[in-house]
Amino acid sequence: MAKPLPGRVVNQIRLLRFMANEMTQAELGERIGMTRQTVAAIEAGKYSPTLEAAFRIAQVFGKPLDEVFQWEG
Amino acid sequence: MSFREKIAWLSLVAMVVAYGVYFTLVSPAFLPKGASTGYFLALLGGILAAQAVLVTIASIVLAIQAGRDANAPADERERAIARRGAAIAYFVLMVGIIAVGCVMPFSVSGWHIVNAALLALVASETVRYGVIVVSYRRGWHG
Repeated sequence: MAKPLPGRVVNQIRLLRFMANEMTQAELGERIGMTRQTVAAIEAGKYSPTLEAAFRIAQVFGKPLDEVFQWEG
Repeated sequence: MSFREKIAWLSLVAMVVAYGVYFTLVSPAFLPKGASTGYFLALLGGILAAQAVLVTIASIVLAIQAGRDANAPADERERAIARRGAAIAYFVLMVGIIAVGCVMPFSVSGWHIVNAALLALVASETVRYGVIVVSYRRGWHG
């Protein structure tokens, strides 16, 4: 069985929310069709969103995907 | 804690308590000698009814507390967590059903088989809700 490769997805959502007039997790969740708890889990690195959700989040902040999510190897 | 996580906790606790009581009462230590089919049916019916009433009332209270979150469709994380719980519980159910359907008929009969089948269902559902609540608590990367 293949071993999971080291590394993880990190994100700048908390910073971007702050810069977007201190948008709340609930507001972001509403705009991308997710619960506040799921947004909190993504921010905390407890859940890696699908590519589609990641693009939706980036679109809300008007940023390219790689400014929102990065791979930390 | 999200509405769906609360419902998963409620279902898990209600199931463990209700069937914990049932399987304790039908264990050899507590089972009356010569217990009839009527005894088993009354016990099982009572447990099922109590669990259904408790879960229904508590779900209504949780839904009122959650407001519009209760009516919101599950998001991708919630759906993924639910799928993970069902996938793992499936294997528990399969093992249980193989034991009950393919092994037990050659050694025991009657209510032993019924209770064993029920235990397989309860075990798989407990694993399902257990995986769900652990996934919500500890996080999960899909």
